[in-house]
Amino acid sequence: MVLEKGMITNLQRLSLHDGHGIRTVIFLKGCNMRCLWCHNPETFSQKAQIERIEQKCISCGACVEVCGSEALSMHNGKVHYNVNLCKHNGDCTKVCYSGAMHQVGEIYSSEALYKAIEKDIPFFNSTGGGVTFSGGEPLLQHQFLLETIQYFKSKDLNVVVESNFNVSWNIISKFLPYVDHWLVDLKFINAEKHKKWTFTDNQKVLSNIKQLDNEKVSYELRTPLIPTANNIKEELLAINDFVHQLSNCKQFKLNPYHKLGEQKYKNLGLEYNLAHINEMSHSEFQYWSNLIKK
Amino acid sequence: MDMKEYYLQKIENLKRAKAFQTKEKIRKEGLLDEDDYGRIAVPDEGWEIIPNHEDGSFYGIKGWTDNFCDLMDNHPTYIDENDAFAGRWIYFMSKMRPNKWNPSYPFTHLIANQEKYDIIHGIGDDAHFAPDFELGLQLGWGGLLKKIETSAAINQGEEQEVFYQAHKRAIVSIQGWIKRHIDELALMIQKVEDPLSRENLLKMRETNRAILHHPPKTLRQACQWIIWFHLASRTYNRDGAGGQIDTLLQPYFENDIKNGIIDKEEAIYYLSCFLINDPIYWQLGGPDGNGGDVSSEISFLILEAADKINTSLNITVRVHDHMNQELFDRSLEYLIKHKNAWPRFSGDKGLISGFMKNGYSEELARKRIAVGCNWMSLPGLEYTMNDLVKVNMAKVFEVAFEEVMTSSEIKSTAELWGKFTAHLAKAVTTAADGIKHHLKYQKYNEPELILNLLSYGPLEKGRDVSDGGAMYYNLSIDGAGIAIVADSFAAIEQRIEEEKRLSWEDLQSHLNSNFEDENGERIRTLLQNSERYGQGDAKGDKWASLIAEHFSALVKNESDAEQNQCFIPGLFSWANTVGLGKKVKATPNGRKGGEPINHGANPTPGFVVDGGSLALASAIAKVQPGYGNTAPMQWELDPSLAKQEHAEIIGAIIKTHFELGGTLINVNIMDKEQVLTAHENPDLYPDLVVRITGFTAYFAMLSKEFRQLVVDRILEN
Repeated sequence: MVLEKGMITNLQRLSLHDGHGIRTVIFLKGCNMRCLWCHNPETFSQKAQIERIEQKCISCGACVEVCGSEALSMHNGKVHYNVNLCKHNGDCTKVCYSGAMHQVGEIYSSEALYKAIEKDIPFFNSTGGGVTFSGGEPLLQHQFLLETIQYFKSKDLNVVVESNFNVSWNIISKFLPYVDHWLVDLKFINAEKHKKWTFTDNQKVLSNIKQLDNEKVSYELRTPLIPTANNIKEELLAINDFVHQLSNCKQFKLNPYHKLGEQKYKNLGLEYNLAHINEMSHSEFQYWSNLIKK
Repeated sequence: MDMKEYYLQKIENLKRAKAFQTKEKIRKEGLLDEDDYGRIAVPDEGWEIIPNHEDGSFYGIKGWTDNFCDLMDNHPTYIDENDAFAGRWIYFMSKMRPNKWNPSYPFTHLIANQEKYDIIHGIGDDAHFAPDFELGLQLGWGGLLKKIETSAAINQGEEQEVFYQAHKRAIVSIQGWIKRHIDELALMIQKVEDPLSRENLLKMRETNRAILHHPPKTLRQACQWIIWFHLASRTYNRDGAGGQIDTLLQPYFENDIKNGIIDKEEAIYYLSCFLINDPIYWQLGGPDGNGGDVSSEISFLILEAADKINTSLNITVRVHDHMNQELFDRSLEYLIKHKNAWPRFSGDKGLISGFMKNGYSEELARKRIAVGCNWMSLPGLEYTMNDLVKVNMAKVFEVAFEEVMTSSEIKSTAELWGKFTAHLAKAVTTAADGIKHHLKYQKYNEPELILNLLSYGPLEKGRDVSDGGAMYYNLSIDGAGIAIVADSFAAIEQRIEEEKRLSWEDLQSHLNSNFEDENGERIRTLLQNSERYGQGDAKGDKWASLIAEHFSALVKNESDAEQNQCFIPGLFSWANTVGLGKKVKATPNGRKGGEPINHGANPTPGFVVDGGSLALASAIAKVQPGYGNTAPMQWELDPSLAKQEHAEIIGAIIKTHFELGGTLINVNIMDKEQVLTAHENPDLYPDLVVRITGFTAYFAMLSKEFRQLVVDRILEN
């Protein structure tokens, strides 16, 4: 049997918002949606890529010397990076000692992943926490993920999977015996809007949520509340109606839009299309949260 | 009148007075990188020391007794009609000396190595062990005088006579000081018109009259008695050790309630006044030896009083398997509510099992409680020199590295480790020899005139607590700079030996230029980004464990059962991170010359990208010195985590750290913006309290350099 390997962008320790207790969130690389508000743009592509963290650069120029594609150049004593010319072969990251040129995406085996999260197990145990697989869309790497979750379950770890559910039910169903809790995104009911803001259809998503509900497993739904996209009464009420038709959803909540990912777009040389949209006030968020409670 | 409101108003007035006094203290005396102590400014043209030596200082039992008694005889009174208690600390007598060690007892044979390894030797330092307040509460001043008389009759001799006379004179002068307050109160009572204030002053006078000779009988009397003792002890030599405050006060509180003398609101008012008097180190809760916890209703009332006062406070909650969960929850609630660095938490499991490894019983180990900055003590039973002696391990590393570069043919981490451990052994022995020198001559330098009174042995034997008077000598030597050394070893192993990115000579050249040569900054970042202590299973962690283990073994090895000297290792730097760092040139972990060393047992700032709290809790648990002294976890808790909804999580991190072997947690919760603004303009935040190490201080009282250190620590975490 060939053991699968996965492409991981980050392990985030001490996460308190992605399942119960203290958790380590494992971000798998690659996503099949392109939500305009996404704060994890480094997870769009399934391949490793280069990000440049300008604040860390000490302008030593070592990266420029090894760059074979002219993506890196030196002007007025400062390093400049043109992502369009970058071949993402990682040569610059090897000579960048300050960590300014950084490769996003690392290959892990299940065992290596376990070893990386193992040190926090005492804190998982004392809080009822565990590991949450997120992304990107973690189910895109379903073979690796299934193998890893089975391995983690053999170590008695509590496992949560966060998914956009834009994958076939056949894939999801294989995970049902092993996942302790699901966090599923429910972005829009309106198909047109879903398409406009995520560049994908939502029929599969909605159908999978209903299927999951029928399975009577532990899950919750979360809606990212995005100004100008779905902070619209009729849309939220439609989402609310959908949720109320379900029987086994443990929790449904709104997550406020934030701009914490904006810097990541810059680091990756990508454009952040929602730069003009402001985060909403606490009172406005509270208003919408109250609306869905009714 | 609603008495609850009345007491709250009194407490508010006391807080305002304290804020004013702190400001006045800064104006008159300048900034101070130390605890607040509740001390008020020395009056203009105040008391001056009486030297008995040509160097302008005073030494020996006569010198100290003459000075202390003269100061007590001339000490101003302090009475605030808002307060339940009389007295405030004003004079820092021990600090008024130009020299702290009697030149008749030189230690020239130790100086070369002390300087070579940058050892804070502690010779001539004082206090830093705990009195047993219970002894004082049982005997009162009169009982202590009687004990002196009885003991003097048994232990006769010229030296003993001087010893007993000195202690008797000290008590009589303290009584005289109290008596002047009683007289002052009589005058104030005549003048005050408000009936409630008058009643308070009358009660204050009665309280002091009652305890002038006799032991206290009520909660108010017990608190006032403790205050007088620690004010005298603070004045004498800054002693700030507390005790198990809830069990100390419990019988008086319960008796008062039973007899209808006070109600709970009045008790909280007394406790608030008690706490604002001085940020003494008090412990709350702890194992009772029968599978339960010693906490009681008064433990909660003490927390409530702290909640109302919310000033600089040093209360430690003892965490153990059978602790009172409600007390723990309440303490977390206040920690999060005020974000004012109190309470702290100490871990019973690691402390007890560690202390027992010295050959002591579990019952005795349970009595060793959190009563000092980083330290534990057996109240009344031991002499310790806790937190006074530090070996700068970063300096020891520097000596070893230079030796490898100049004399070793084969350069390797194994060779460097061999040199480092050999020099560390010499440094530890030098530190221990310093302590032995101190023990031999301290009675001729600075006897513990006040703390002797509440220790078991000194009066009974007629010998100073430093001179065989105590029952146990559990002598502390702390290692400082563990992360600098561990990360330096790790960087060399990774970058030179494994990756071969640079040579030993390259490294030496960059260190000599303080990374300011060609390519220096680039190499510095390379070294700095090596596998650091705190990341968990990293090279730095491996080296840190080795260093901690080795240091502990070296310190333990200095113990001498025949001499009743048990040496106990700790990992702590106190507030010396700046001073110790100044003595160390650039180090292979990418630290520039003169920069501060790491704090206590903490990894160097920025050691992990996220999850710092968990990484910190795991890493520090793994380097515990293991014999009952601490390697504290200094926790700069992110304000986004410090919310009531996360109290359970914070509690779980604390408990898990202790479960993993941790011993003490000091917590700061500081908003980055606020701390930056306060750094620029400290006057805007006169109430902002930070936990520097084991102690708290008003941020506005710190020097700019020290404020910067706190800011860096908070920002980088």
